[in-house]
Amino acid sequence: MAENKQLRIFLSLPSTMQLIYLLDTVISDLLREMKFNEEAQEHVNLAVIEAGTNAIKHGNKEDTDKTATFEFLIDDDRLTITITDEGPGFEREEVANPLEPENLLKSSGRGLFLMEACMDEVVYEAGGTIVKMVKYK
Amino acid sequence: MQINLRHKGSVIILDIEGNLVGPNTIELKKIIDDQIRTSGDEPVFMILNLERVQMMDSSGLGVIVAAYASIRRNNGRVVLLNIGGNIRSLIVMAKLVTIFDRYDTEAEAIASFL
Repeated sequence: MAENKQLRIFLSLPSTMQLIYLLDTVISDLLREMKFNEEAQEHVNLAVIEAGTNAIKHGNKEDTDKTATFEFLIDDDRLTITITDEGPGFEREEVANPLEPENLLKSSGRGLFLMEACMDEVVYEAGGTIVKMVKYK
Repeated sequence: MQINLRHKGSVIILDIEGNLVGPNTIELKKIIDDQIRTSGDEPVFMILNLERVQMMDSSGLGVIVAAYASIRRNNGRVVLLNIGGNIRSLIVMAKLVTIFDRYDTEAEAIASFL
């Protein structure tokens, strides 16, 4: 049986939204290298952008003294992404469902939903300051 | 990101190029808000041409949903033109497919306002 060699990439970013585009570049190259299909690449890319936005904008309130960290664990059959912020956290169940008719025309509140729709697993830990997402090949 | 503003008769057309992601969306929101403000009480008829938009996130979706809601309040309409597979699946995922009228040609989009 072939040995699974896990690779780890770690990014630590100051909390400015201008760096969200750096994530796009990193994750796009990584997903191509891992040979995810095109739809999966688009979904993971979107989920990382959403999680990064949550960490930098909503968690760390764009305070550049605070960092958002991104860990990418690459296995043969999956990509595991862990995003950590220094914010106060949040309760997932308190975030409204953007698909409910009364929320459809709201201009915000879709980020968590899109992350969960695009990834195979999304888990919130440490009161919402750590988000772990998995995509299987 | 680049946004080109055109008029065809009373129809406002925004040709958008780039990714509608994060801070990029602020410029689009400002242009749409300016057009709504300039129109005063007149209804706004707007086409968002997304042919050259490869990616959109929840911030981008938020801007076009806000435009839809504001423009509809004054009996206007905003429609989407030339949306690619990525954007289409995002709109379907967010259950916004029944809200936005979508067209494949500019002529069809303009005719929809008549």
